[in-house]
Amino acid sequence: MTILGEVALWIALPIALWGTVVSFVGGRFRRSDLVLSGERTVYMLTLLLAVVSAGIIAAFLGNQYEYRYVANYSNRELDTYFKVAGLWAGQRGSLVFWTLLLSVFSSIAVFTNRRRNREFMPYVSGTLLGLLSFLLVVLLFADVNPFERMGFTPVNGRGLNPQLQNAWMTIHPPTLYLGFTAFAVPFAFAVSALLTNRLDSRWIAVTRRWILLSWFFLTNGIIFGMRWAYVELGWGGYWFWDPVENASLLPWLTATAFLHSIQIQENRGMLKVWNMGLVVTTFLLTIFATFLTRSGLIESVHSFAENLRIAYIFLGFMGGLAAFSAVLIVYRLPSLRSENQIQSFVSRESAFLFNNLLLVGVTFAVAWGTLFPLITEGFFGETRNVGPPYFNSVNIPIGLILLALMGIGPVIAWRRASKRNLRRNFTVPVVVAAGTCGALAVVGVRHTMALTTFTIAAFVMTIVVTEFWKGTRARARIAGEGVLHALRSLVRRNRRRWGGYIVHAGVVIVFTGLAGAAFDIRVEQELAPGEAMTVRSALGTEYRLVYESLSHSRPRVAEGERENDWRWTALLTVYRGGERVGILRPERRFYPVMESQSTEVGITSTAFEDMYVIPKEVDLESGSERVTFEAKALPLVPWIWYGGLIVTIGALIGMWPAAGVAAPVSARRRSRPGPLPAPATG
Amino acid sequence: MKNGRFVVGLVGVAAMVAWLMWTGISDSMVYYLTPGELLERVESEPTFHEIGVKVGGRVVEGSWARRQSGAGTHEFLVSDLEDPEVSFAVRYGDILPDTFNDKAEVVVEGIYGADGIFRAHTVLTKCGSRFEAAEEELAA
Repeated sequence: MTILGEVALWIALPIALWGTVVSFVGGRFRRSDLVLSGERTVYMLTLLLAVVSAGIIAAFLGNQYEYRYVANYSNRELDTYFKVAGLWAGQRGSLVFWTLLLSVFSSIAVFTNRRRNREFMPYVSGTLLGLLSFLLVVLLFADVNPFERMGFTPVNGRGLNPQLQNAWMTIHPPTLYLGFTAFAVPFAFAVSALLTNRLDSRWIAVTRRWILLSWFFLTNGIIFGMRWAYVELGWGGYWFWDPVENASLLPWLTATAFLHSIQIQENRGMLKVWNMGLVVTTFLLTIFATFLTRSGLIESVHSFAENLRIAYIFLGFMGGLAAFSAVLIVYRLPSLRSENQIQSFVSRESAFLFNNLLLVGVTFAVAWGTLFPLITEGFFGETRNVGPPYFNSVNIPIGLILLALMGIGPVIAWRRASKRNLRRNFTVPVVVAAGTCGALAVVGVRHTMALTTFTIAAFVMTIVVTEFWKGTRARARIAGEGVLHALRSLVRRNRRRWGGYIVHAGVVIVFTGLAGAAFDIRVEQELAPGEAMTVRSALGTEYRLVYESLSHSRPRVAEGERENDWRWTALLTVYRGGERVGILRPERRFYPVMESQSTEVGITSTAFEDMYVIPKEVDLESGSERVTFEAKALPLVPWIWYGGLIVTIGALIGMWPAAGVAAPVSARRRSRPGPLPAPATG
Repeated sequence: MKNGRFVVGLVGVAAMVAWLMWTGISDSMVYYLTPGELLERVESEPTFHEIGVKVGGRVVEGSWARRQSGAGTHEFLVSDLEDPEVSFAVRYGDILPDTFNDKAEVVVEGIYGADGIFRAHTVLTKCGSRFEAAEEELAA
C-alpha cells in the first residue's frame, strides 16, 4: 500500500502539469476537448492523492519506521487513532494532506460547475491545477517527500509529542486546512475573472458560498485550536499570540474583511480593486500560514536554519503569485473602475469601509509583530521580539471598534443615513448599553477594557435582537403566522442576512467571554491527601477542593512493547457554594519514550465560569503523595465556546443552499448578467 | 463625494494603528539572542546585565539540578545550538514546562546578572511537532 502511495505521488505530477497546460490552452483557444481533459485530470488527481494519503497512513499503521516521516511521528506504543492522524502530525504529511484537500475542493468546484459558469471554468481548473502542480513539485523535490526512506530501519519510532496526543489536536489542523484550501476556489475564480475580463460581480456571486465555507472552517479551526490550548497546555489560557496561532489568524482576518467588502461590490459596484487585492492577499496568507506552522520559520532564526530551504521555496512561490496577481489587476484596472461613489460618511458603505480598514490594520499589526524577529534581524542585524503585551495593546482597542461597527453596519442605511434612520435604529441600543455600563459599574466592575467590552456587547446584542424582533413581528402580522413559524420563514427568506446576524451575536458572546479574563482568580497550594483549598471566584462563588487521594496507573501493553505513558491521577471532590458538585481527576502523565511529561487538567463548568485545576507538581520522592495544585476561577470562559458554536450555526445558515422558492444563486445570476440590484443583505 | 473626509478617516485609521503598534512595540520589545551573542554583548556593553533579554539554546545534558534552598528552584546550563561549548547558567524559580528535560531546546526570558547567572522569569520549550530528529538519534 505504501509503495502504491509513493508511485501515485510520482504519477500525479505529470498529470497535474498536463492538466494545467491543457486547461489554459483550451481556455485560450476555446478548445472544449482540452478543457474537458483538464477537468478530468482534477478528478484523477483527487484519486491519486487519496492513494498517496492512504499509503502514508498504511505506513503508520504498519509501523514502517524505515520511512523517516513515520519514524519521527509515531512509535509502536501510539494509539491507532493517533497513527491515522499521523498523516498531518508533521510537515511532510501536512503538505500531502493539504494537497489532498485542495484536490478534493477542486473536484467539487469542477463538478458543481460542469454545466454552468463554463466561461470561467478553463482558467479556474487551470489555476487550481497549477497550485496542485507546485505542491507536488515541492513534495517530490524539496526534501519533504513523506516516503523518504532512511538507510536503516529503527526498531521503534520517536513517538508523537505528548501534547499532540489530544482529540482536539487531531481535528484542529485538518479544520484549518479545510479553511485554507477552500479559499483556493474563490482565488481561482478571481484569477479567471481577471484573465477573461469578466469583472462584474459574477465571480463573487458564484464563489460566495465557497468564501463562507472557507471562513466557516477557518473560524472553527481557530476555535478548536483555542480549545486545545485550553484543555491541553495546562495554564488556563487559550491564546498566546504564538507565531503559529497568529499565522492562522491572518487569513481569517482578511477573509472576514473580504466577506464584508464583497457586499459593497454586489450592492453598489464599488471596491472592485480592493476586493481583488483581498482575495489574493487572503489566499497568499493561507499558504503562508501552512508553511509557517510546519516549517518553524520564525523560531528558526536561532535554531533550525537547515529547515529554511522550504521556507524560501514557499516565499518565492508567494512572491511569484503576488506579482502575477498584481500585474493582472493593474492590467485590468480600466474594467475595475468603481460604478458608484460613497455619498456620505454616515452610511453603510462607510461603516463597511472602516470595518475593512480596521481589519486590514489588525492584519498588518499582527503580521508585523509575528515577523518582528525577522524584520529586526534584517534591518539591525540582531533579533528582537515582541510579546503578548504588544498584540493585546494593539488588538484590543481595534477589536472593540470593530465590535461596535458590527452593530452599526447592518442597520445603518445605504448611501446616506438620515437622522430618522439613526434615531430609529440606535436610540434603544444606546440606552441599553448605557444602562448596562451603569449597572456593571454599580456592582463593582472597574476594569476599563472589560467594562467597555460589556457595554459595546450590550449595544450590538440589542441591535441584533431588535432586528430579529422587528422582522419576526412584521412577518407574523403580514403572513398571519405564529411567532416561531414567522421567525423560521424570516430566516429562510434571507439566510445570508439573518445568518450574518447570528454570527454577529456569536462574536459578541465570544468577545464577552474573552473580556472575562480580566477577572481571573488564581490560587496555588500544596496539599496532602485529605486537605482542602478554597477559591472564591470574581462572580462570588466559593469553591472548595478536597484532595482525596493519588493513584498511579500504567497502561496494559502487549509483550515487547513499551508503555506510552504512566499516569498519576489526583482525585478531588469539588464543592460549589457548599454543595458537592462532582469529582475532578487531573493527571500528570509521564511519557518514558519521549522523556516528557504532560498535564491533564480538571475542569468543572457552570454557564458562567470554569473552575480549572492544574496538578503542577507531584511529590514522588518522599512518598507523601503531596501535590501542588493551581486552581483558577475563570469567569465567562464557557461563553467563548458557546459563542463559537453560535457563530458556527450562523455561518451554516448563511451558506445553506436556498431551498424551494429561490432558484440556485448562480442560475439566477446567469439570467441577469452584470451588476445586480441590491439583494437586501446585512 | 466628500473625498476629503474619507482621506481624513483613512489617515486616522492608519495613524491609530501605527500609534498603537509603536507604543505596543516600545512596551514589550525584548532582545532575542543566542547564548553566543549574549556573552559577546555583555562583554562589550555591561549595561546588558540590567535589561531583560530572551535567549534560545539547548539545555546541557546532565546540568539540570534542583537547589536545596527554596523548593522548586531549578538550575541548569543552556548552550548555544551552533557552538555547544558556549553556555551560561540559568536559575528559575517556578515550575518548568511539561516538555522540559535535560536536553530540551528552550527559550529563556529574564535578566543576565553581572554574577554570570541568568535569572529567568519564563522558560519555554520548543514545540516538538516542528522539527525532526537526526538519523543517529533514531538509530539509538
